Amino acid sequence: MMEARKYVWEGAIPLQIHLHESEVTTLPPPLPALILAPRIGYLPLLVPHIKPHFSSTLPPGIDTVWFDYKGLPLKWYIPTGILFDLLCAEPERPWNLTVHFRGYPGNILIPCEGEDSVKWSFINSLKEAAYIINGNCKSVMNMSQPDQVELWRSVINAGNLEAYIRVSSKLKLGTVGDEYAADLYSSSLNSRQSIGDTDSTGQVKTGKCFTLLDAVKSLLPEYFPYKSLNNEESSREEDKDEEKVPSENLSEHVESCYSSDDAEVKLVRIQGIEPKLEIPFSWVVNNLVNPEHFLHLCVCLKLPQVKIPSDT
Amino acid sequence: MAADSPSSVRKVVVHLRATGDAPILKQAKFKIPGTDKFAKVIDFLCRQLHRETLFVYVNSAFSPNPDELVIDLYNNFGFDGKLVVNYACSMAWG
Repeated sequence: MMEARKYVWEGAIPLQIHLHESEVTTLPPPLPALILAPRIGYLPLLVPHIKPHFSSTLPPGIDTVWFDYKGLPLKWYIPTGILFDLLCAEPERPWNLTVHFRGYPGNILIPCEGEDSVKWSFINSLKEAAYIINGNCKSVMNMSQPDQVELWRSVINAGNLEAYIRVSSKLKLGTVGDEYAADLYSSSLNSRQSIGDTDSTGQVKTGKCFTLLDAVKSLLPEYFPYKSLNNEESSREEDKDEEKVPSENLSEHVESCYSSDDAEVKLVRIQGIEPKLEIPFSWVVNNLVNPEHFLHLCVCLKLPQVKIPSDT
Repeated sequence: MAADSPSSVRKVVVHLRATGDAPILKQAKFKIPGTDKFAKVIDFLCRQLHRETLFVYVNSAFSPNPDELVIDLYNNFGFDGKLVVNYACSMAWG
């Protein structure tokens, strides 16, 4: 179990960061900065590593750093790996981003004052997860100061999984056991071979294991109609906003953005992986969850092509 | 959209509760469109209380991201038909 978590923890996205042309005041313009960004990290945390590369060419002024991908300002509180999974349907290596040190788009992005803002956002997400799992966030609030420091440091360095596990296990956010879904979702489950498993007391459980597919269906029921009309027209793809699922909370309401008559789930990407949907959901949660204890699902939808009448 | 999307017209009742030494609002309950971001609640509070910064929480527990939609917060954390939002002038919880 540790191995899978370690792979995820150490996952990184190679970035090629270009300074926005409006901020280049020297000739020749600076080369892009190349940096390996931890998947579980956040773009603003990379700024101390990027800035030295560009500082001699920047116009005078105060830094208000933000990033864009093909003109889309990037929400800095979303972990880097998720931004990549969501915005690059076909993974781009390296991922080309543009950095700006001026002209923060305050009407589009919430303010970011560097590491402190990222930490505040992270801690509040962790509290939100604790609240959902335990009904309160006492465990997070009662963390000792040294523990808080170690937790944050293990995340920003994205290296020390052992330290992270040591501190986060005190938060009692738990690992998810296998859920057997006979009662809950029997109407939408296809019949499968039952999977035997042993729990901690050594008894064998049988039954239909709650899978990733079951989880996705419960979150996005509108894309799993009973009638499965296979649309034979070619379809265009569209990325849906990520769905956040705190571990152990399976009943989160999802707002539908599309009239879902013919839209289908094309793929589900988690930590850059497209897991087989038959995998037990508990495994997905226990291994692919982010440090703030949210499981981020990037869902790619396939929408039917719209036929546009032509004038002839 | 083919059918009426209830969430596009649905309003959420927000109950604003003062914490610590924060001033209490004369009117504490409001209806706000579900599609508004939580940032609107924060901005409203800051304007009403003439403050640049406030600490704003849901259910006295955590501070939601300002980009979150009020309807999502209500669906996940609301109870008794409303979303309880606590505000403080200094950090109240953690």
